[in-house]
Amino acid sequence: MADEVVRVSQQQTKPIKIKKWKIRKGITVSIGRILLIYEQLENGKSEQKRLKALQPGIIHQILAKEGDVVQPGEILYEIKACNHPTIMNDMCAECGTDLRKDESLKTTASVPMIHSIPDLKVSEEQAQKLGKADNECLIKDRKLVLLVDLDQTLIHTTHDNIPPNIKDVYHFQLHGPQSPWYHTRLRPGTLTFLKSIYELYELHICTFGSRNYAHMIAMFLDPDQKYFANRILSRDECFNPTSKKANLRALFPCGDNMVCIIDDREDVWSHARNLIHVKPYHFFQHTGDINAPPGLGKQENDDKEGIDLTNLMNKTIQNNSKTDLEDNDNDAKEDKTEAVDKEEEPDKENTKDSKENKDTKENKDTKENKDTKENKDTKENEVESKKEPENSVNKEIDTKEREKNGLPISEDVQKTNEDEDKANSTEQNECVKNNGEDTSTGNQSNNIDKEEDQEEKMANDGDDGPFKSFDNASVKVVQSEDNFIEIEDPDDYLIYLEDILKRIHTTFYEKFDTMEAGKTPDLKQIIPDVRSKVLQDCRLVFSGLVSTHSSLEESKAYQVARSLGAEVLEDLYEFATHLVAVRPRTAKVNAARRMKHLKIVTPDWLWSCAERWEHVDERIFPLNSKGSKNRHPPPHCSSPEHAVTYPEHETPATRKRTPSGRFMDTINPLMSFSSDDIANMDKEVEDILDDESDDSDRENEVFAKADNEEEEEEDTDVEEAKFEHMMQTEILGAYDKQEDDGERETCQITDEKSLADEKSLEEKESAKRKREREEDENSREDLPSQKFRRGEDVDNELDDPDHDPDDNDSDSFEEPDENDDGEWNMMGAALEREFLSG
Amino acid sequence: MFYHISLEHEILLHPQYFGPQLLEKVKTKLYTEVEGTCTGKYGFVIAVTTIDSIGAGLILPGQGFVVYPVKYKAIVFRPFKGEVLDAVVRQVNKVGMFAEIGPLSCFISHHSIPSEMEFCPNVNPQCYKTKDEDVVIHAEGEIRLKIVGTRVDASGIFAIGTLMDDYLGLISN
Repeated sequence: MADEVVRVSQQQTKPIKIKKWKIRKGITVSIGRILLIYEQLENGKSEQKRLKALQPGIIHQILAKEGDVVQPGEILYEIKACNHPTIMNDMCAECGTDLRKDESLKTTASVPMIHSIPDLKVSEEQAQKLGKADNECLIKDRKLVLLVDLDQTLIHTTHDNIPPNIKDVYHFQLHGPQSPWYHTRLRPGTLTFLKSIYELYELHICTFGSRNYAHMIAMFLDPDQKYFANRILSRDECFNPTSKKANLRALFPCGDNMVCIIDDREDVWSHARNLIHVKPYHFFQHTGDINAPPGLGKQENDDKEGIDLTNLMNKTIQNNSKTDLEDNDNDAKEDKTEAVDKEEEPDKENTKDSKENKDTKENKDTKENKDTKENKDTKENEVESKKEPENSVNKEIDTKEREKNGLPISEDVQKTNEDEDKANSTEQNECVKNNGEDTSTGNQSNNIDKEEDQEEKMANDGDDGPFKSFDNASVKVVQSEDNFIEIEDPDDYLIYLEDILKRIHTTFYEKFDTMEAGKTPDLKQIIPDVRSKVLQDCRLVFSGLVSTHSSLEESKAYQVARSLGAEVLEDLYEFATHLVAVRPRTAKVNAARRMKHLKIVTPDWLWSCAERWEHVDERIFPLNSKGSKNRHPPPHCSSPEHAVTYPEHETPATRKRTPSGRFMDTINPLMSFSSDDIANMDKEVEDILDDESDDSDRENEVFAKADNEEEEEEDTDVEEAKFEHMMQTEILGAYDKQEDDGERETCQITDEKSLADEKSLEEKESAKRKREREEDENSREDLPSQKFRRGEDVDNELDDPDHDPDDNDSDSFEEPDENDDGEWNMMGAALEREFLSG
Repeated sequence: MFYHISLEHEILLHPQYFGPQLLEKVKTKLYTEVEGTCTGKYGFVIAVTTIDSIGAGLILPGQGFVVYPVKYKAIVFRPFKGEVLDAVVRQVNKVGMFAEIGPLSCFISHHSIPSEMEFCPNVNPQCYKTKDEDVVIHAEGEIRLKIVGTRVDASGIFAIGTLMDDYLGLISN
């Protein structure tokens, strides 16, 4: 059908003279297109007329020449039927034919070339043509293509309630007034980054957010549609819900030689070589990537970084509820109007001021003490904290990094917290968005001091070493005069990213200029090349970085170092340049101290190099007496070149139960029974367990927990008694079977009886366990901040929100157990696994 | 093409509206339910001009809802193949351009744009323009196009257009 050639003849009744052809060979005509202008001789008068196309298609050949006189029935031209190279909404965009009406009308158009319009498809051939034109255009402008991810690369968005007056945070709803609010923070320096990178790259958005979301964010990033135009690919247009890679072929039909990608996730690009894995941007605490692909949740501990705005929020809410009983849904606009209402209340506040002043004075004292004490260790980190508060009215808030880890929370801090509690109750009216025109200004700054204190503590807890802490420590909350809270964000990654991208661009076009015409270098090679120049002349030796039972080549650190171009030596040789050591005073470190030229650094140095793609100054990461705990690279540092990822920690395959040993002493059933018997027993156990297979997993956990925690000894005993009882019954039954078939019936009865016994036991058990679990959960449901106030360690909770608390416990308790009686453990586990799995 | 035609519609009214304002409610409900909708046969209902009659209401047994058959006149817009219309360009890309004729959206393939006009991706806003920059078509520009095909869906009508004919293209003021 597509290649069928139709000859079109002169349909008039009289001969015509062709004046001018309006078409040429190879072009597509739609119905009604003017083909030629002709003269018709009628009654001696010549009349100019136009011949229009009666059917769509591509002109194959023009047979009649201009000036010819064509008789009726003679052939004018040949036309190939339209092969529908461009389809929109299942309609040929060339000839307007509806392709749904006739199933037989096949189309070759299958490539959705336009990001945001998946319905518009072009044929492979067309796509190639368009792609080629694109590439030529890029080369002419000396540009490259850059695919930009949104979430956690350029922005961070949360659904959480946050104060409506934080600077540089956009608030929006996507689906009408009842839909949830989104709060988006741009990564610091995003706009300058886009502006300067736009000169070198054609920018495309590639995100897993919905189409509305992507376009909304694009509006914030690029209000003039200058950078992205309509090049926005969202989840709605993605072929594959878990990978962005599939769309590349459609968008760039001529290959992705000139495509560079920045994303905070490698997996969605199947670890493509032209990907720059950026450091995820984290602003709002407790929020990961809200648009993470299904099933590929964030692996990182989302709660570790970012800023906890809940305190600010609490105050705002408290305030709101006091002044205005209506729930205002964190509506920015509403809040503004309310702020006006609040101005009427300064009198009330003034009465409280005196009290507050006392509080805050105390507070200040403790704070200063703390500062001087804590800043000793971390002086060198100040190199990193570049930003200074710009606030002029309020006193300069001196916030420096504090290391909390290891140290029990001091009384000072507790006092501060108590103060704050007290202050909270009195200062409710004094909200962050209060107009600071009266005496309350001073108090406000103190107020914020405290909040900030808390935030920093939250952020710093669980951080160790300078590498982590410079990321999020120097967070400052400053309230400016226009009632907006300004939060200092220490993230400066985009500066480095811009540098990386510029280097890649230069390398590409340097290479392009040396190549013969018509050929283009491949970014999939250039990007790893550029990366491998970072530590080109370095020869690294690792100490304590790779565990002894795994080979050096398989370790992540090795791969990171190799991808940066460094050489990794097995042992400390003379020509080594760097020693990357986790702990001080290892043999290698001691030996290295004697070599003058050798630089001793913590692994953080390596991770930092990998993050910024530059040779970071070694002096920032000296190995001090504490050593470093960052033995494993942060996820974003792993190199795309070595796509193989090795699990960092072997997680135990099954939860193990530690039998007391008594059971094993009595008899080992595995050895004294034939395989048939064992199979029989298995089946019985399976039947029993089938009834409660649903919560068997949980039970296992409880098993593990119960065994591991001494307080629950009682529980354990019951558990074991039950288990023994069960086994014995089975053993008896099996013997009976062997000895006398006739007695089987009675045996079964006893079996059933014991089953019933077990059931009741089980029920009691589970009820007890449930209670325990509930208690457990209750205690765990405390907010981290509350816990913090009590002076407890919040570290664990902040690590991973999804982590089952039970898991947490059993994990941490299990290890010593395994060491103690590993063998018993193994046997017990093997036994149990067999019973459970059937 | 625009038509002024008589149409019929059934209004389903909840019993809570039974009262002195009942007929008013039927009328307002008609406006909200009918204006802006699209049917394959008549096209887009642009505006209701007059309500000719509201028939006798019929109470649905078991529900209490009442159904009023309403006869009204409305202005409708129905695009036809071959029709020439003025449109506003919404988006321009390498495959073609999208334009809107009121509620009707329309795509014009780059093959149906005169070959002397070329796509320029690097100017802001992106556009199709002739070499001498005499004619520049970009987003928000007004063009005259001819419809070559329509697709009628439950939700609306989509059209394919062309600029390949006399007097088509950019409308210069």
